[in-house]
Amino acid sequence: MNVVIGSKRTMLVRSIFRYSIITFVCLLVIFPLYWMLVTAIQPPDISLQYPPVLYPKAANLHGFQQLFQDNPMARWLLNSGFVAALTTLITTSFSILGAYAISWFKWRGKFVFGMMLLFTQMLPEALIVIPIYKMYSQIHFANNLPALSLIHAAFVIPVGVWILRPAFESIPKEVSEAAQIDGCDYFALLRKIIIPLCSPAILAVGVVAFFASWGDYLMAVTMISKQDLYPASVGLASTMSQLDTPIQELLSGALIYGLPPVILYMFIQKFIISGLTAGAIKG
Amino acid sequence: MKRLASPRIPVERTKIGSSKHLPYLLIVPICVLSFVLVLYPITQDIWISLTDKTLGDKIGTKVNFVGLHNYVGLVHNSSYLASVRITTLYAIINVFCSVGAGLGTALLVNRRFRGRGGVRALLTAPWAFPDVASVIIFIWILNSAFGIIGVVSQYLPFDTSGGWLTSSPYAFISIIGMSMWKTFPFYSIVFLSALQGVPEDLLEAATVDGAGPFERFRAVTLPSIKPTLYLLELLAFIFAFRQFSMIYLTTGGGPERDTETLVVSVYNTAFKFYDYALSSAIGVTGLAITFLVALVYLILQSRAAKRDFR
Repeated sequence: MNVVIGSKRTMLVRSIFRYSIITFVCLLVIFPLYWMLVTAIQPPDISLQYPPVLYPKAANLHGFQQLFQDNPMARWLLNSGFVAALTTLITTSFSILGAYAISWFKWRGKFVFGMMLLFTQMLPEALIVIPIYKMYSQIHFANNLPALSLIHAAFVIPVGVWILRPAFESIPKEVSEAAQIDGCDYFALLRKIIIPLCSPAILAVGVVAFFASWGDYLMAVTMISKQDLYPASVGLASTMSQLDTPIQELLSGALIYGLPPVILYMFIQKFIISGLTAGAIKG
Repeated sequence: MKRLASPRIPVERTKIGSSKHLPYLLIVPICVLSFVLVLYPITQDIWISLTDKTLGDKIGTKVNFVGLHNYVGLVHNSSYLASVRITTLYAIINVFCSVGAGLGTALLVNRRFRGRGGVRALLTAPWAFPDVASVIIFIWILNSAFGIIGVVSQYLPFDTSGGWLTSSPYAFISIIGMSMWKTFPFYSIVFLSALQGVPEDLLEAATVDGAGPFERFRAVTLPSIKPTLYLLELLAFIFAFRQFSMIYLTTGGGPERDTETLVVSVYNTAFKFYDYALSSAIGVTGLAITFLVALVYLILQSRAAKRDFR
């Protein structure tokens, strides 16, 4: 059995090798984020020195101050939050209904419906953003934040159904039969049994929808042209394109705007991954 | 054959009675949203691609039907052909390098070790980080005058003085680097969770039979993570094919049009050159590619399903 275990020395070498690879990968992944933090809290004259120093030599919060003084940044963040919250609400409720139809009922046209969802999910939004923009400006939906969240929802719903479906299907038959005997109709079954049992998956859908909307730039920049209606993504991109924006201010903006989804995501990454792998196995 | 003759087990869940209309009612909201915001724009795209419409047209301007003129033009349009080539290259590199790096990392860290939970959480950060924020970071890192990339560049045997985002081929390399940073850590975590499903006893049996690490990977590990591998390759392809903001905001498709993928080209043709009809024609070819990929995915899946039920 020595073949399997190996000598103590090779074990040690291997584990050192493994740890150094892990450390290297982690450094590679974290460095850009670390560099953002350093530049955001460091006075710009130090950041612009060459060669750069890898740790902050001095710290202040002027970047954040400037960011909120020079731009309606609070407004932009609020807009993003509003659009994302609305997208979350629409996506979660529509996906629950759609996933219920797909996983609990037998009906004609289910294949076509599934195909439509699959196609929408793979579709690059940029290919049809112009006709959407044309339509929106005709019906006066441009520069309208709730209308923007409808677009976000339309593109993230397929992912929502995809995450919910295996969860809904995993509810044992006996549970639903017992509910039926107790006199539950379809909506009571959904409300009292399925939604509570699948709340982790539903939470995951909510988070995915939230940060899909929070992170969107393409749809927002095309549909929204009034500065006070900008979501944070468009607002920050506009400050980025002004060449005189101080680097500390810009990176402070990236930090404030980028951190909330990362924190949210870390909480739910377990559900997302299990949803993904279940999807891979079940299809 | 015997199995076919036995009473069929209903696959669908119809056990709480059967309702004819309810499922259709349930999908009404999704269908309305999809018809208005996905299918109708697609038909518009197809229609406009057969005309000579420009984006500046006032309402009421006469639009001429030109048949397949725009598509015929695409065959000789060198910037279109270039964008197809760039998209293909970008997608292939994403599918092989990002997924490959993800698998490699997962195989290396596939042991219990201290701080594994922390590492996993860390590795999801780039995937969740919004595009615009990532763009700001990388524009700063890759800045030709003050970016920290300068420290690395001076040791490289190439001349990068044209800037990492403003000269070829470095702009393309930068975009690849950004996409890999964003995706491979996430892929490695998905692989890591798939690797937990690899049968331990088979691995041990293979070792006893004298199989080396590569043999073990080929014969035991690979077959059991294949569904995940395919799924992630598809995901990487979709990611690359859809990617707009990270390219548009860093290089805008430049220098010249060297990083202009298909989706960026659709946008630039409409909003920079105001040629709505040509942009739609390019878009429709992109839709066709999307449709083909979805079809291939379905076929692969139904084959896998058949194999599982045999």
